[in-house]
Amino acid sequence: MPVRTPHFPDLLFGSAARLRRWEGALMDLLAAHGYRELHPSLVLRGAVPEGGLRFFDGDDLVALRWDFTVALAGLLARGFPAPPDRVAYAGAVFRRPVQPWEAVERFEVGCERIQPEGEATNEADVELARLLMAIPGALGLKSAILHLGNAALVRRPLEAEGIFGELADAVVAALSRRAPHRVREALDGHPSGARLSAHAEALLSELDGPRTLDALASSPYAELLAGEREHMDRALQALLPILPPNLELRVDLADVAGLGFYTGPTLRLWAPGAQQELAAGGRYDRLFPGLGRPWQAAGFCVRLSRLLDLAETRPDLFEQPQ
Amino acid sequence: MTQPPVLIAFPKGRLGDELVPRLAGTPLALDTAALKSRVLRIPTATPGVAALLLKGADLPRYVAAGVASLGIVGSDTLDEMDVDLLELADLGFGACRLSLCALAGVTLEQLRARPHLRLATKFPKATEAWLAREGLTAELVPLSSSAELAPLLGLADAIVDLVQTGGTLRAHGLVETAVLGRSSARLVAARGAYLSEPGRIRPLADLLLGALKDKA
Repeated sequence: MPVRTPHFPDLLFGSAARLRRWEGALMDLLAAHGYRELHPSLVLRGAVPEGGLRFFDGDDLVALRWDFTVALAGLLARGFPAPPDRVAYAGAVFRRPVQPWEAVERFEVGCERIQPEGEATNEADVELARLLMAIPGALGLKSAILHLGNAALVRRPLEAEGIFGELADAVVAALSRRAPHRVREALDGHPSGARLSAHAEALLSELDGPRTLDALASSPYAELLAGEREHMDRALQALLPILPPNLELRVDLADVAGLGFYTGPTLRLWAPGAQQELAAGGRYDRLFPGLGRPWQAAGFCVRLSRLLDLAETRPDLFEQPQ
Repeated sequence: MTQPPVLIAFPKGRLGDELVPRLAGTPLALDTAALKSRVLRIPTATPGVAALLLKGADLPRYVAAGVASLGIVGSDTLDEMDVDLLELADLGFGACRLSLCALAGVTLEQLRARPHLRLATKFPKATEAWLAREGLTAELVPLSSSAELAPLLGLADAIVDLVQTGGTLRAHGLVETAVLGRSSARLVAARGAYLSEPGRIRPLADLLLGALKDKA
């Protein structure tokens, strides 16, 4: 039986000062690249997902802001006839955590790159990756690892095989666990079982530098995914020459976290030895069309609460502030 | 700064009894003197790598929290728990069935026909999933051990439990009436450790897999 106690940590002097400093440094960095801040209300009305913190305001059921991307999307779709191209945000979100050690109140800084549908997205994706590459330096992290993935590497073969719903969820859960044997179990008896299992083996075979992309050649879906491979290859060509010395770049073909949301390239930032990713993002082109706006978008979110925890438990990973 | 030792969580009990002899003579063999003591953190033959001996039900939490970077645990335990960790390989050993067991002479059809079926188990999630698949409802009696006693003493009509050889069932006059699933030992890894330090954790996972494969 899972035990979920509400976890609302207070920030004392050192952590409060660090939060203020980091939030300022990251928002300055984003502003310098043309990202203008929007601050959606802390109180949201409308449908609230499981895990949101809800309460009654008189007769109205409302919720605390549980996700910046969703809050911003509502704000933008309601109030902007044309999309602003670059948006930044900073503040707290409130969600009941999946992991017992995570706090309910979480501090985040993030950004979104929004374009009209049909515009080329390669440059926007690379722009976001370059920005994320600058984050460890702005936070004083001595070293970091940037994982590049692509949600389409799993999504497109599943769609091509007509696999949706529970079976698709089971395959994605198995990939998330990096368990090829679970993929085989989930697809046992399905006509595409052998093909998709071979694809899973290819995705899970490497977690390394740019040459990891070569593993896609052994997938039965190599041809279907040629465009995605080319997109990732071009991104790597653009990013590798400007890679800071303290940042390692890895290609993670089996990144399926958030697959229900992401539609294309994904980004995740880790520190060596950290138990949780410190920033995450990617392309989510279905969000705005779902709200009636023909826009495509990508973005990332820096999880400042996790960074504050890391600074407490692993101060050796950070430069000492001047 | 010196790297802290990497911890591997090994299970106590049935699975541990199968695992420890398999590791003997490999780079991850457990220190025999420490094994005989009551110590639960045991050095291995590889410097910088130590083993934690944990109850199967606790083990996934140590790994998910990143306290131990790797672990070995039965898939039955993983399936019952909602923990976020990586499951790198099916190790094959420790194979057993998760079965519905009743007193000899009681058939599955008789159990299905009970208006108020009571099932004792320490696997409520798997049992609920099976009941849903079968279109049945039942009262679940949660137990943490010695489930075989429940049908004998009238606490439940049947049990859902792991069966390896069937010896314990026979000793209590029980028989398997349906197989709900299968379980075997799995190599698990902490998501954070594996994704943020693959250069450190993957070779150790390969070493463990190699050691167990050679002894298969």
